[in-house]
Amino acid sequence: MTLQDFQLLPEARQIDELYQSAVYLGKRKQASSIILLYQLESFYVEVYYRKYRSHVRHLHCFESTELLDPYLEQIDVENLV
Amino acid sequence: MTQSLPPKNIVFYADDDLDDLELVKDAFAQYAKDVEVLTATDGSKALSYLSNLKKYDTIPCLIILDVNMPVIDGKETLLRLREMEHFQEVPVVLFTTSSQPIDKNFAQRYNAGFITKPIDVKQMEFIADKFIDHCADDIRNRIRRQMQ
Repeated sequence: MTLQDFQLLPEARQIDELYQSAVYLGKRKQASSIILLYQLESFYVEVYYRKYRSHVRHLHCFESTELLDPYLEQIDVENLV
Repeated sequence: MTQSLPPKNIVFYADDDLDDLELVKDAFAQYAKDVEVLTATDGSKALSYLSNLKKYDTIPCLIILDVNMPVIDGKETLLRLREMEHFQEVPVVLFTTSSQPIDKNFAQRYNAGFITKPIDVKQMEFIADKFIDHCADDIRNRIRRQMQ
């Protein structure tokens, strides 16, 4: 599935697709909101929550790896060195 | 004469994600009269608690394990539990962000359930019921009866 195909789906189908096929990559917090990051084939989807894991505020889909920076910054590499 | 209440059923949940720990505790709140949720933040702490239970302590009716945890992950924790006499038959559920067949097969191989962590209300609704489905028949029926 391409990013364009995904964007054409209704939100409920997009969420089903994420639940069944996406790979969870990380989590971040913005103010009091929680955002989960998933990868689906060659693109990424952020799930913004109104209520964690219950009520989705919106989905943000993208292909640019630059937008992964907030997640990469959280990785503790100390134990990997 | 006083009558002592029967001990609550223990659900033991190990996860390093504090938001998910809260989520599951909240989901079981509706069963608070019969179920107590105990938690640990990694597999090592879970194994330490469970292996130190004494003969007369209440053995959990269900153990929920996140897969990606520090120190000892959920899969390794499951393997070690299955090597312990008291926990060979205790219901275990891997509760994970993964929906990959390789992880489902792993759970199946070690006689454990598998539930992918919810993304929205459709999967979140009834999550406690989905966990309780994995308890032994008598415990599941007793918990459900108390709710009626």
